[in-house]
Amino acid sequence: MFKAIVSAETLTSALDSVSVLVDECKIHLEEDGLEIRAVDPANVGMVDLSLDAAAFESYEADGGLIGVDLSRLEDIAGMAESGQLIQLELDEETRKLHIQIDGLEYTLALIDPDSIRQEPDIPDLDLPAEVILEGKDVNRSVTAADMVSDHIALGVDEGEEFFYVDAEGDTDDVHLELTQEDLIDLQLGPAHSLFSLDYLKDMNKAIPSDTEVTLDLGEEFPVKIYFGFGEGQGQVTYMLAPRIQSD
Amino acid sequence: MKFATFAERAAEIDAESADLEIVECVTDLLVDAGDEIEVIARFVQGRVFPAWDSTTLDVGPSACYEAIARAAGTNVDADDVEDRLAEIGEIGEVAASYEFGGQQGLGAFTGGSGGDDLTVREVHETLTDLAATEGSGSQDRKVDLLFGLFNRCASEEARYLARLVLSEMRIGVGEGAVRDAIADAFDLPDDRVERALQVSNDYGRIARVAREEGLEGLDAVDLELGRPVQAMLAQAGTVTDVLEEWAEAAVEWKFDGARIQLHHDPDGLEHDPGAIGVSSDARPDDSRATTRAFSRNMEDVTDALPEVVEFAEETLEEPVILDGEVVAVDDAGEPLPFQEVLKRFRRKHDVEKAREDVAVRPVFFDCLHADGEDLLEEPVVDRHDRLESVLRARVGNDVGPEDVDGLSLLWITDDAGQIESIDADALEAGHEGIMLKDPESAYTPGRRGKNWRKRKPDVETLDCVVTGAEWGEGRRATFLGTFELSVRDGDTLETVGKVATGITDEKLAELTDLLEPHVAAEDGQEVTLEPAVVFEVGYEEIQTSPTYSSGYALRFPRFVGVRHDKSPDDAETLERLESLRSS
Repeated sequence: MFKAIVSAETLTSALDSVSVLVDECKIHLEEDGLEIRAVDPANVGMVDLSLDAAAFESYEADGGLIGVDLSRLEDIAGMAESGQLIQLELDEETRKLHIQIDGLEYTLALIDPDSIRQEPDIPDLDLPAEVILEGKDVNRSVTAADMVSDHIALGVDEGEEFFYVDAEGDTDDVHLELTQEDLIDLQLGPAHSLFSLDYLKDMNKAIPSDTEVTLDLGEEFPVKIYFGFGEGQGQVTYMLAPRIQSD
Repeated sequence: MKFATFAERAAEIDAESADLEIVECVTDLLVDAGDEIEVIARFVQGRVFPAWDSTTLDVGPSACYEAIARAAGTNVDADDVEDRLAEIGEIGEVAASYEFGGQQGLGAFTGGSGGDDLTVREVHETLTDLAATEGSGSQDRKVDLLFGLFNRCASEEARYLARLVLSEMRIGVGEGAVRDAIADAFDLPDDRVERALQVSNDYGRIARVAREEGLEGLDAVDLELGRPVQAMLAQAGTVTDVLEEWAEAAVEWKFDGARIQLHHDPDGLEHDPGAIGVSSDARPDDSRATTRAFSRNMEDVTDALPEVVEFAEETLEEPVILDGEVVAVDDAGEPLPFQEVLKRFRRKHDVEKAREDVAVRPVFFDCLHADGEDLLEEPVVDRHDRLESVLRARVGNDVGPEDVDGLSLLWITDDAGQIESIDADALEAGHEGIMLKDPESAYTPGRRGKNWRKRKPDVETLDCVVTGAEWGEGRRATFLGTFELSVRDGDTLETVGKVATGITDEKLAELTDLLEPHVAAEDGQEVTLEPAVVFEVGYEEIQTSPTYSSGYALRFPRFVGVRHDKSPDDAETLERLESLRSS
């Protein structure tokens, strides 16, 4: 059993943050909210999303599991105007999702969850450094790095106490330093890792510029990026594996 | 098997040039293939999917370059890969020249599963996922999947992965080599392996059956409804040759259409390849299609040809596999040129609209399977009898064969004259000519054998003077026809034959208007003409003949056109006729 009403913005934010990594996903319809976990085909980037029942206008579920084609569902959600509500209801018999936006009704065929790539194990990482910054600064870092390179190094200078972004291109370089004053918070620790911008650019698309974003970093370790959405009732965590740094 | 091991073996084969050594290497590879024998038997030929399967990876070179670039490391882009390709010339070599593996996977940090070597199975599974990826953004997703593979490749692995993905394996292993290797590896007779391969069209499956079930298993492999087999092909041939070789010839019209193989089962096809990426076993019986049509290349063309599906639903009552052609027809049911069929064949969208523009209809000439029975080994005549009875399911036996919808007629004869007239009728009906088949021969999939001949198209044409004609009979009483042809011998004209075929009524009327002013004398139906008009005629060969004054006769002459630009003085000479004959 699943029946819920949610604002178009909240649903769209949730779907977008998953669809940057995968086309299809499993959605757990838990009693206290939605859960999605997915990993990209190369097992490099992962998303873990939860959307609390409180984020919905109304929410009823009893622990089912459905598989969806994300771009389809995004297209449908895109039909809603800003501020409109979307009603979702699962037909257990036909295994279809009935979606209603005002007078518009859409019946979405679901995908067999068993045919969707297995959900990832979440790495249990002890990352020593924590950087909390505004979404727009993440955006700025990624955009600047992308101008010169396809990789980005993220790190913390423990001595000088700042968070930095490095990108080295064939000819040009980008370096950005954000100190305690530029950041919302900085917890110092040894951190320096190199990441593929292909992934980070996609993840960045889902990060709202006015949101508080936390980056957990280590040395040659994955980065954990997390932020809230849907008035704090939703939570997205990305995890991205590093590239090996060549000398 | 580790993909690295496969790559190593592929490299060894690549280095061999002698056929025997190649077969030996493939044999060893199959013996060592373990659980992945199906995949390995296909990969070694550069195939990802069985031949009967229409599934394709649908990966363009640029997606592959992109994936290689991403896996290759810092600041390499697709253009760099392309530049290197232009320099080196072969994608495998390019892929092998990069160092991959810079991107780590999350698995390396969850403990346990991280950092495993790539296996043949994983490559196959990923490529299967890749083929199933469709819709918006699918090209990006395909790049992601390929990147994931390349990222785990060492250089030799990358070389053969790139070649496999772009269908450029080219290590010298053809179907014959794999057939021989299967036979050698599991100590089985070549011809039985060959038969099983022909009916199943699946080298992977037959490799496994050969290994695990031996000869008994091979012999039990049958045609399966829903899985296409390769079409039997014809060689060029002449009427003269086949009548010398065979006691009699089975003669059929050769339709100017596109080959199709129809699979139909009123209860739903055993294999329904319609839904790519979804195993038919995993779907409920009632969702299986009852009809599928495949092209000569075994592509699924069902959706483009709703008329064929309708034909099957309306005509057939038992499970069958039929071989035939689809022809395009105009509103009056007259055949249209081949190009019109092609417009329909590859159509994926707006099929209904296309159907309004050009309608098609199927004509069948062979029956490979009927009601649980494989007929490949049966002679042509028996298969044709079965075909006729299958197509008569609804109309019964009260109508003549010419009124059985979708049936291509078959004549058995040893009379060259009758063959000539069948050819004439075929041409007049707007078709391509005739097919000649050994009535006793079996159906051999994929073979361009001697048992089927398409009548050789005209080698050359001759420009002959029209020196006589006959008034027609019945509805053609007002037309001149059966034109007498002559060539020049010095100042005189000598006859070489008569042409009556390849001319429509409309054309006959036109020719009558053209020739009537030149009538010199009439004797009953016979007309003598002043030399004035030149015909271009095709022929099968030039024979010596007492019938005509030149001493030669054109065998199976056919009308090609009027040479308005030529006068009788420009017509062929007897001398040239002699030189053509001796060449």
